Parts: sequence; C-alpha cells; structure tokens
Amino acid sequence: MTNHNGLTMANSQPVQRVAATLAIDSINFSYPNGHEVFRAFSLEAKPGEFIVLLGPSGCGKTTLLNLLSGFQKPASGTITINGAPVRPEMPELGYVFQSPQLFPWLNVLENVRFGLRMQNRLSAKEQTEKALHYLALVGLDQAADKLPYQLSGGMQQRVSLARALALEPALLLMDEPFAALDAITRNNLNEETLRLWSELGQTVVFITHDIDEAIFLADRVVVLEIAPGGIHSELAIDILRPRSNLGTRKLPRFIEYRTALMEKIADVVHANLSVL
Amino acid sequence: MMRRLDKFNWGWASLPFLLLCWVLVASRFPSYILPQPWEVMAEAQRWIADGSLLQHLKASLLEEAGGFALATLVALLLGTTAGLFRRFRDFISPLNSLFMAIPPVAWAPLTMIIFGLGYWSIVMVIFIAAVFPMAITMQEGIQSIRNGEVRAARTLGATPLQMIVHVYMPASLPFFTAALRIGFSQAWRALVAAEMIGASKGIGWMVSMGGQIGNTNQVLLGIVIIGLIAWLMESLVFKRLEKHYQTWRAH
Repeated sequence: MTNHNGLTMANSQPVQRVAATLAIDSINFSYPNGHEVFRAFSLEAKPGEFIVLLGPSGCGKTTLLNLLSGFQKPASGTITINGAPVRPEMPELGYVFQSPQLFPWLNVLENVRFGLRMQNRLSAKEQTEKALHYLALVGLDQAADKLPYQLSGGMQQRVSLARALALEPALLLMDEPFAALDAITRNNLNEETLRLWSELGQTVVFITHDIDEAIFLADRVVVLEIAPGGIHSELAIDILRPRSNLGTRKLPRFIEYRTALMEKIADVVHANLSVL
Repeated sequence: MMRRLDKFNWGWASLPFLLLCWVLVASRFPSYILPQPWEVMAEAQRWIADGSLLQHLKASLLEEAGGFALATLVALLLGTTAGLFRRFRDFISPLNSLFMAIPPVAWAPLTMIIFGLGYWSIVMVIFIAAVFPMAITMQEGIQSIRNGEVRAARTLGATPLQMIVHVYMPASLPFFTAALRIGFSQAWRALVAAEMIGASKGIGWMVSMGGQIGNTNQVLLGIVIIGLIAWLMESLVFKRLEKHYQTWRAH
C-alpha cells in the first residue's frame, strides 16, 4: 500500500474508513447581551459527507463551530455526533482552526503526536510512527524536527491538519482554515484536503466565506443567513470527483454554481440591509 | 578592511575603555582619593590572602540565595493565581503597584527592628525587592497563554492536569526565566543597599565601611565585586537560560 509520496505505509495502519453522523436539531442560541444568532437551526451531515457552510461575515459561522465542537452550549435543541451530545474533548471530533494554533515550543512531530500522547493511545514508538505517517500524508515528513515558527503559514496549517487527522476523527470541523493564506496556497490546500478526505473518508464540516472554495470542496453547500437565523438555502454540488484545480474550476457547471451562489449571498446580504 | 571593522564586536572594547578612563582620571588625583586599578588589585590580593573576601562574599551570597528563593516561591504562587483568576488579579494589582513604588531599602530600618541586625532582616529586604516584579512577570506569562492553544489542546483530548503540565507550564516558561533574571538583579541591588545600612559583614558592608575609614581601595574593590557578580549571573546564567526558552517566543 503506498500513499501519494510513494512511501510504503506500515501494515499496522489500515486505511481508516470511519465517519460520523452529525445531527443539529432545532437549536437556539443567543449571546448574554441578547444578540440572537440562531433560531430553530437544524442540519444533518451524513457519514462521509463533505458539507460546506457558506456565509457572509456576521452570519455566526464561528459561533456555529463553537456550538458544533461543544465549546458553547445551545440554549435549546441538541447537537449530537453518532447520537451522543458533543463535547470538545470527544475522540470522534477533530478540529482545524482559523489559525494553525500549533504549540510553538514543540517541534512539528511532537505537535502532531500531541493528541495521541495526551490520550495515551498506542506505545510511544507507535505514536511517533503514526505522527510521521500523517506528516507524510500532508507532505511534511521532512520537516518533522523543525519548530513551527520556521514554517510558512501554509505549512503550519498542514501541520495543524495532520495533528487533527492523527487522532483519526470521524468528524472533522474546519473553521475557515485557509482564509489567511494566499490564493495559490489556498488552492493547493483545497486539493490536498480533498485527496486526504477521499483516502480517509471522514465526515467534514467546513466553514468558509469563499464561494469558489465552497464549490470546489463540497458535496453540499449550505448558505447561512445573517443572524438571527439559520439556513438560507442549500445547493448540491454535482461535480465529479476527483476534482483538481486545473480541471474543475474552469468547468461551465462550476461557473454556473458560482453565479447561483453569488445570487444567494447577495440575497442574504440584501435581506439583512432591508431589515436595517 | 571595512568588512573586518563591521564584523568586530565593539562590546569588547567597552571594558578596556573604562579602565583607560579610570587610569587617566586617577592619575590627576592622589591615591587616597582615587586609587589606580592596580592599587585596587593589590588590595584585592590582601583580602583574598587573609580569607576575608571569601567570608564577606559568602555572607552576601547566602543572604541573596535565601531572599531570592523565598521571593521566587511566593511570586510563583501570587503570579500564577493572579494570572489564572481575574478577581485575585484585580485585588492584588494595587498592592503590587504600591509596593513596587517604594524603594525596597526603605524597609531596612523596620526589618532590622523586627528581625534584629543580621541574616533575616536583610533577607526580608531582598524578599520585598524581588517578589513583586517577579510576581507581575509571572502573571503576564500566564495571561499571555493564548486561548487558541488551550482550545487546541482540549480538542486533542488533554485533561485539566495535562493542560497545566503540557500547555500552561511550557507556554509560561520564557516568562518564568525572565522573572528569575529580573528578581535576581532586584534582589542583588537591594542586598547591597541593605548591607550598607545595617550589617556587620557582606560586600555592601565592605563598601560602606571602606567609606567610613577612608579606604578608597576597599570601596572600589567592593564596587567591582558587586558589578562582577551581577554581570556573571546575568550573562552566564540568566541570559542563557532565557535564550534557551525563547527561541520560539519572538515569532
């Protein structure tokens, strides 16, 4: 068995095919100052589905991910992963943040190994092997003993991705992970994200305000309303996989989707302006 | 030629320059007012030969060690608590500002009345001098830990105890070593001042006694040793310690 770098994977590491169901059931959430963010919001992600939540700023994207990961609790309604209420430390859950949030005092390998170490999974040797395996998957096994500040922003975000993947989560939450990167790096990482997802097969909930990124990645794009609200509309992206930057982004269908989503976003913003 | 001059570290020239100035200025004065460096060296040999220098140095270093260790322990407790809990921080910060505004040596007459002349009265002055700036630096260290790192560690499954050992402690280590450096130098300054006011031994006593009996050799010898100890600790111990933990911090 080989990965894209042509490296032979250890036999002890079968390709993982676990995916979770995420169910958001009519949640309500307001901030203590009375600002209402979600009203009767429901959404379900099927096992292995790649869902992209798309919305202009102010639609409560980050609040939603805080709720999805259990850092904040909804006032009412439930959020469950495979039927169990979410908690930040639950092993099914992987999280990639807007900024890499690596531990600057640990080298790249130790950053990726951190979760396995904390959860005391596997022996020390196996932890290192697994961390190296996922570093190789994001193409950074050569940088294992570098410190985070020695890497570019894009490389740091790859390490962050490897760190989340090393725990083999069944649900991966990605909170605008590539928003701070330049367009070229972002496109490359979009492609890599899809490649990793097709290999590992977990459920992904990805948040972005970038329309092209949303179309390129998603099985289903969910357009969010500006708070207080929920879902404005959904759009299934019916573009064949595997997708590539050169092939996919120029397809007439890709451009149709882009136009459709731009109209939806304009509608969301316009609806909000008329309220003001 | 220019390139060589650019590469030359001019820091090494400062000490010879200072010595040269000393020699030049001292040549204008009789030696009982301002002695030459070599006369101070001769004085040093006398103090070393009869063992009294070692004795005074030992007394000062023991006081420094006691006061500094006590201050480190208390500052660790105060700084960590203030860093973690906002209410305690609000409560303690006016006290911190108040005590930092008072020159530590002003406490010396009081500690000498309470503890008597000797070891503990000086240790208390050192303690007061070092504990507040150290506590504030440690508090800043705890506060500087980014929420994002804490969150990341939680999603990776760290328990509260693991958070302390694997996130809070390593993240605040650079501040901790900075606090040690600040505390040591504050303690050392206060020590010398306190010894000059009321002590029967120590480097500070050496300087003030030299002044009283008109032995300028002894005064200058004391000053050189005070500077030497501070410089040795600063550049050989604390700067290295700090540098070791700060490679990642500047970025």
